[in-house]
Amino acid sequence: MERITFPGTLDSLEGIRQIVKEESQRAGLSKKAAYNLILAIDEIATNIIVHGYEETGNEGPVDVLTENSDGKLTVILEDDAPPFDPLKRELPNEEFFNKPLEERPIGGMGIHLTINAVDEFKYELADNRNRNIFIVKTGDN
Amino acid sequence: MSFTILAEAKKIAKITLTGEIDSLSAREFQKEIEKMAAESPDELVLFVENLTFISSAGLRVLIFAKQKMGSGLAIYIVKPQESVIETLEKTGLQHSVNIVDQYL
Repeated sequence: MERITFPGTLDSLEGIRQIVKEESQRAGLSKKAAYNLILAIDEIATNIIVHGYEETGNEGPVDVLTENSDGKLTVILEDDAPPFDPLKRELPNEEFFNKPLEERPIGGMGIHLTINAVDEFKYELADNRNRNIFIVKTGDN
Repeated sequence: MSFTILAEAKKIAKITLTGEIDSLSAREFQKEIEKMAAESPDELVLFVENLTFISSAGLRVLIFAKQKMGSGLAIYIVKPQESVIETLEKTGLQHSVNIVDQYL
């Protein structure tokens, strides 16, 4: 796997999106699949930076790991923020999305967009690092 | 900068969004909305033809606008690209905004 390390600050988001865009193109993803993957990664990277680092007063990296093999593109975000499993959060239900905007809670959309954007999304804690794993089929197997 | 705002606050607030709105640029977008909210506009018109990416942070600014400017506020989203429309639809926001090809 290739690894690129970014500082855990919001101005890294653009560079992270760029890396994922290049990898998506190399893997031959459709425009739509690439957009969705970029969106998913931007959402989780934002959560790591804002909730994992900024709000807890921590500083640290966001590592972007990529691998294109066996008919799938895998992207992993690794960080040293406090352990946090995004899948443990309660997901918004239909009622949430039908609410008028003025009554809506402000959070919950990012993880929803993430899960719907990729073929597989997983979380694990390994060596005390958060690992958010995104897998998209490249359709060449 | 990856996006620019051209603001003209009367009763109709108009903003042009270009480039990519992530959590960083959404903070600027939100500041602009806060300024405009002071004028209590009736309509918020967003020209987004050249907006290529919007994350949930950008969508939250739309929710914020509605909450800040009042439920009577009509939001127009002019000429969104397909990916932007899809994100609005996946989050149910298309019911609360007016997606139009042209703002008259």
